[in-house]
Amino acid sequence: MFAAEKLITVPFDVYRYDPARGGEPRYQHYELQLAPHTPVLTGLLRIRDELDPTLTLRYSCRSAICGSCAMLVNSKSRLVCRTPVGPEVAEHGRIVVDPMRNQPVVRDLVVDQTPFWDRYEQMEPHLIPDPQRPMPEGRTTLMTPAQVDRFKDTPRCIACAACYSACPAVEADPEFPGPMALAKLYRFVVDPRDGGHQARLRKIQTSGLWLCLRCHLCTEACPKEVRPSERIRDLKELAVRAQGGTEPGSRHAIGFLKNIEEGGTLNEMKLVRQTSGLIGTAKAAGQGIRLVRKKPEMLKRPKTIEGIDEVRKLYRALEKDEEVPL
Amino acid sequence: MLRHDIVVVGAGLAGQRAALAAAEAGHDVALVSKLHPLRSHSGAAQGGINAAIGAEDSVETHIYDTVKGADYLGDQDAIEFFCQQAGPTVIEMEHFGTIFSRGDDGSLARRAFGGAGFPRTIYAADRTGLALLQGIYERLGTETIRMYNEWFLLSIIVRQGRVQGITAFDRKTSEVEGIAAKAVIVATGPAGRIYGRTTNAHSCTGDGVAAAYRAGANLKDMEFVQFHPTALLESSILITEGARGEGGILTNAQGERFMARYAPHVLDLASRDVVSRAIVTEVREGRGFPGGYVNLELMHLGREKIESRLQEICDFSRSFAGVDPVTEPIPVYPAQHYMMGGVGTNMRGETNVPGLYAAGEAACVSIHGANRLGGNSLLETLVFGKQAGVAAATYVSGTPEPTLLPADVEREVTRFRALWDRKEGESPSALRTELQKTMDQFVGIYRDPDELFRALRQVRALQERYRNVRVADSATAYNIDLSDAIEVGFLLDLAEVIVVGAIARTESRGAHTRVDFPARDDKNWMKHTIARWTPGGPELSYSPVAYTRWEPKERVY
Repeated sequence: MFAAEKLITVPFDVYRYDPARGGEPRYQHYELQLAPHTPVLTGLLRIRDELDPTLTLRYSCRSAICGSCAMLVNSKSRLVCRTPVGPEVAEHGRIVVDPMRNQPVVRDLVVDQTPFWDRYEQMEPHLIPDPQRPMPEGRTTLMTPAQVDRFKDTPRCIACAACYSACPAVEADPEFPGPMALAKLYRFVVDPRDGGHQARLRKIQTSGLWLCLRCHLCTEACPKEVRPSERIRDLKELAVRAQGGTEPGSRHAIGFLKNIEEGGTLNEMKLVRQTSGLIGTAKAAGQGIRLVRKKPEMLKRPKTIEGIDEVRKLYRALEKDEEVPL
Repeated sequence: MLRHDIVVVGAGLAGQRAALAAAEAGHDVALVSKLHPLRSHSGAAQGGINAAIGAEDSVETHIYDTVKGADYLGDQDAIEFFCQQAGPTVIEMEHFGTIFSRGDDGSLARRAFGGAGFPRTIYAADRTGLALLQGIYERLGTETIRMYNEWFLLSIIVRQGRVQGITAFDRKTSEVEGIAAKAVIVATGPAGRIYGRTTNAHSCTGDGVAAAYRAGANLKDMEFVQFHPTALLESSILITEGARGEGGILTNAQGERFMARYAPHVLDLASRDVVSRAIVTEVREGRGFPGGYVNLELMHLGREKIESRLQEICDFSRSFAGVDPVTEPIPVYPAQHYMMGGVGTNMRGETNVPGLYAAGEAACVSIHGANRLGGNSLLETLVFGKQAGVAAATYVSGTPEPTLLPADVEREVTRFRALWDRKEGESPSALRTELQKTMDQFVGIYRDPDELFRALRQVRALQERYRNVRVADSATAYNIDLSDAIEVGFLLDLAEVIVVGAIARTESRGAHTRVDFPARDDKNWMKHTIARWTPGGPELSYSPVAYTRWEPKERVY
């Protein structure tokens, strides 16, 4: 338990901006005496109560379940209600609080979450009835603990948007639904009650699934261990297994897999063909020629590596180990 | 001016369920909430939802347990209906997509809860509220409903003897709008922030309850305030009763399992009022730990069980108290948790004001009477949320258009502007803090008449000072200084009703324990307290409790 702790001086630098009044965003400095285990939220609310009632932020439950108070604390996406001040001060000497990224600022630490919620809605986040298997009359469906386990930790999602804020693909491409929306989609794709698995996978293959950069910043940012990047990986695997290569992203993944199985190493020329097809490759010819000029060894067909048998053995073993497809 | 058939205020489980029922009936429904619906406090409910679906269990036992838990102040006809609806409600939520925990055979997993004869609490790990909130929100997305997310309720307009609509403002712009409606359903949850030591979210400020009270609705049984036995020391964050349902035990500083003294048959799984009084007694008699708390021990359950079934609890204890429940006891003390009282309704959610409905924790049907059983509140939100939605839908079909006049809205705008323009005066947070200290100190688990009178004087003095409340922030976007000022006004009105009701009720029943009247007094007090707003404070009257089959007995656990 937290022992009776000495109070420490906590310097806060808090982002202030009111777009309605114009001007430039600025940081306002405040100082409080706080016990090291005090949550940053408590600090911000004390600033409001004791120092500056004009500071605004979004918060509600203060127990990491309502998802209201995701912000950047010393540049990391955090729920401020469960981020203690002590370790932040120890590491950074102060606490810099910024609004989340990838969402326009309404004022101070409050962001407009409309884009985040819109992308969530695009996932058709509700059970799609399966005419072949209607819900049983007068009783619940049966779902084994193993089937429940397939949801992984996605039911823990509190929609705080910390992942959305941390995601560089969201920043780069308005088409990308973002980690939370995709984790939510995964939750429906593995739900045995849902009748839309195939349609969902088909749709997402061509509407953003393959735009994920696999940087895992979302998983690092998630305060509830939902691990969105891993669920995105699962979605890709499920999509490829159900539908094969439907567009460049999945064809690239399949080509990669085949390349390694054939020779133990990447055949880049072949991979371009596998990913983009003949016409696509021809279209990218200009870029290809420039690449080959810089890196002529690309044209050489790579040699099959020693120990390719071992690689193939691994493939066989992994195939056996796979979960039963949907 | 905006217009809808039905306006639901509050978008937690009760509000969303009401909106769903009303929309399914084909009406134009608006859902107004000061938070995004998925951020509602329903999502913080942990332990589970009761339904007697086990082969060994019965609806009859669920009814009896609820009647007894309520200390015979619940309306038995409503409790019968409520328990009968439990199975169908849980099945419906499962069909909507809620992800529940399951047993090995694929059926819904159940755990033991306080005051229940059988393990009948269906759960989703220890985040059942979140699972249900996700389930209903997903289902609601398939209906056409106008969502007013992050809109703040100012008032409910009643004229010509019926509801005409509401006034509210968009938190993004702070522009006040009138929303005309034939029917308004209040589902804004509790006012737990009347207290400082509360498990409730900061947003639980009773907005809809207070607005309904000011608009002429009767409040019922407001003096019955539930204190949850196990809130984390210091932060008062909830530690679910499910922790004891899974086998957790309470111990004092002498290492004693002290519940044996208070509830020899069911020990730690007695009703919440009983366990909370026991903890306070242990600490007052010197058997608590220094700093005033007892231990909740889970260690003997083993890492696997603790981390799978009580995943969030592990997280909370580690983050907010610096303890790991796998290896150490959790320090706990009771905190305000639930309001049995609320806007008085019947089983259909109807209030005394035509066109005004209420459901969920904001309402008092009453099924919880003097003390609510764990696992019954999530069920209540869904059962009576639906009832209110259905009843409002029927009502609006035969009701003429509302007449919300520009003058109705202007009156609110004037008051709103006057409040906002006052730059010098009392700070909302100072008033709130003083209110919370008063209520924590004087209107807690054990209630002393002198302390109650002192509380009343202080609350009234705060109401007086509130007339001079100031809003320092003049920004239009997301002005929480402004919303705080309005919320404190709501809290003060409701605190007054709680204290006045507690002073009047000279008996001890359920969660209301008077040190000067330690016994239950069925002869004089088996009746609901009804509070009506007057300019001079709440005017009390009483109404009978509905009885069907269960004679009051002494309550032993």
